[in-house]
Amino acid sequence: MASSDYGASRLTQVRVWVTEWAASLELPVSVWLLCETAVFRLGVSGVAVTMDNAAGWPETRHSTDVLSARLVELQVTVGEGPCADACQAGGPVLVADLDSPAIQRRWPLFAPLAVEAGARALFALPLCVGTIRFGILALHHIEPRQLEPATLADSLAFAALALRLLLDEQAGLPTTDGGLPLHNPQVHQATGMISAQLNVGMEDAFARLRARAFTDQRPLADLAVDVVARRLRFDPTGETT
Amino acid sequence: MGEERLVDTFVELADTLIDDFDVIDFLHLLVDRCVELLDVDAAGLLLANQHGQLQVIATSNEQVRLLELFQLQNDEGPCLDAFAIGTGVSHADLTTAAARWPRFAGAATDAGFAAVDALPMRLRSEVIGALNLFRTSPGVLDDTALRTAQALVAVATIGLLQERSIRNQEILTEQLQTALNSRVVIEQAKGLVAERLGVDMQGAFAALRGYARGYNLKLSDVARAVIAGRTGTHDLLATPSRPVSQGDSAANA
Repeated sequence: MASSDYGASRLTQVRVWVTEWAASLELPVSVWLLCETAVFRLGVSGVAVTMDNAAGWPETRHSTDVLSARLVELQVTVGEGPCADACQAGGPVLVADLDSPAIQRRWPLFAPLAVEAGARALFALPLCVGTIRFGILALHHIEPRQLEPATLADSLAFAALALRLLLDEQAGLPTTDGGLPLHNPQVHQATGMISAQLNVGMEDAFARLRARAFTDQRPLADLAVDVVARRLRFDPTGETT
Repeated sequence: MGEERLVDTFVELADTLIDDFDVIDFLHLLVDRCVELLDVDAAGLLLANQHGQLQVIATSNEQVRLLELFQLQNDEGPCLDAFAIGTGVSHADLTTAAARWPRFAGAATDAGFAAVDALPMRLRSEVIGALNLFRTSPGVLDDTALRTAQALVAVATIGLLQERSIRNQEILTEQLQTALNSRVVIEQAKGLVAERLGVDMQGAFAALRGYARGYNLKLSDVARAVIAGRTGTHDLLATPSRPVSQGDSAANA
């Protein structure tokens, strides 16, 4: 039953690749380094991470090349594209060939401009946990390409790692090798409860939950169980029961 | 089981496939109808991601959800077996299942279940997930119920695979990842609603779903609207006494 370990093992492998690359450059692990590692490991032409700015528009936070950044700009300019769709859907949008008739019909403004700019394949992977949204990990390729299953799995793993780096940054926590139990529904239920208790958004609620787990040196999942069972409340005036 | 209700169910499933297809709503419909039509007490549905890892997508109640998770975490249980071998797996009396599934059997009986059936969601050689049916009294699923379950599972499998060829991993990935994220949105909304209304997660889910059905909206859209503050938490309790049809909600929009 190899399968249930496969996803976790891909995330572990991607983490190792990024960490090794960082170590070889004597730099800390970062989202930018993740993008560079992804280009090499996935064999794609370029990678960008977009994040929504204060006005709600996606901005390129990191890109490995000019075309990656250009593709982001184009989508903002024409107001459509795989990244916007991925953001809205909360799931990936994988385009093997921007020049195909179906795709040209789907994004009549963006697709021709993207092809003209030199891109043929585009894979938009949202970086989100429910309504907690950071942006997109966007991979492009200058030739049409249907991602092979292993490459697709690794692409998702890169997105999962990027998400974790961004979550750690938001929570002000050091990046660890520990797993983040994002498959656990009680973690998300607890987040929702804390959001209501503190009257803050889900991003802040989740950051508070993580910070508390870190301070108490307890696994996040255990803390979530306590919140859902109402043994632990978060109080706007200070600390908790 | 009522024949008419069975026909209604297939019509409903077909309509969902043809019109605005939403994986989460479709699968919730399926598990609910299973409970209603097959004389079982709970149902849970898991889909595999492209790593072959099973993820819970829909259950007929919160308790079952915990159980499915349990299965996954401990790498044992009827659903996992059905998924792995590609044929149905049953156990008529879970008090005798300890040797087969040491941890699952105990958790299932603790949760009040006495019998289980698991059907793989399979199309030819590809198994994409599994359906788990639970009963509170021991026994086997009768023949008619089993065949009905197989037919419902087949419709669901075809529906999920409809958009693409089985070789195309990309659409499966898009569909599954989107459904999983929608699931997280729903969990976040449950927490928010549970806290504000002072109810448990089951009650929070019922409020969200009652509103979604009453106004013919997608569950995940209602969840997003509540989180964003576009729909007030207390508005969830004021659903119309009869479900609003598609035409009505368009007129009200």
